[in-house]
Amino acid sequence: MVGIVLVSHSVELARGLADLTSQVAGAGVRIEPAGGAPGGALGTNSDSVREAIARADCGDGVVVLADLGSAVLTVRHVLEGRPNGHVRLVNAPFVEGAVAAAVMAAAGQSLDDVAGAAEGARGASKF
Amino acid sequence: MWQARQREPGVPASSDLRVVLPVDVALHARPAGAFVKTALGFQSRIAVSTDGKIADAKSILAVLALGAVGGTELQLTAEGDDALEAIEALATCVRNLSE
Repeated sequence: MVGIVLVSHSVELARGLADLTSQVAGAGVRIEPAGGAPGGALGTNSDSVREAIARADCGDGVVVLADLGSAVLTVRHVLEGRPNGHVRLVNAPFVEGAVAAAVMAAAGQSLDDVAGAAEGARGASKF
Repeated sequence: MWQARQREPGVPASSDLRVVLPVDVALHARPAGAFVKTALGFQSRIAVSTDGKIADAKSILAVLALGAVGGTELQLTAEGDDALEAIEALATCVRNLSE
């Protein structure tokens, strides 16, 4: 099953979104939050991103979503030297992308499909 | 109720069915996830529509955007080799949804 990592400046935002996506997708899916700077202040943290990727990785790949600007830079930094595409940062809205990716992952879809669902969320209407 | 079209060579089967959400279950959060995961288990193209809105049954965001509340009638339409099985599985899923 494809794993999912949620990188946010906020510990609470990453955890809350992991809770929400787990409720929609079901408990079986591996969704790992990586929020906050060291010590829990607002910010991002390469070590917690790296650890979350390791926890999320069951062998079928990992999709990483980031909330804003420097969270993307932190993820890119962590992914340097991992060019094989097994761990993919997606250009997707944080909430909708996470929910879309999690449901696809829970249904056993491929890394391409999970990443595609997250990025496809860019055009989704809320109502 | 069932409207299964006769198979012709090279023409995918299609099927549709109306099913009503349990009165106390909206098609949101966990129930929507269960519905979409069921749909993703089939090859057929599957649509769910209600109240003039139509959604890809394999897209959680599209299904959530339907905003279907408990007791709503859903129309399920599938097209493909496993259309009949897909509609049957989704109808069972909808009837058994709980909050």
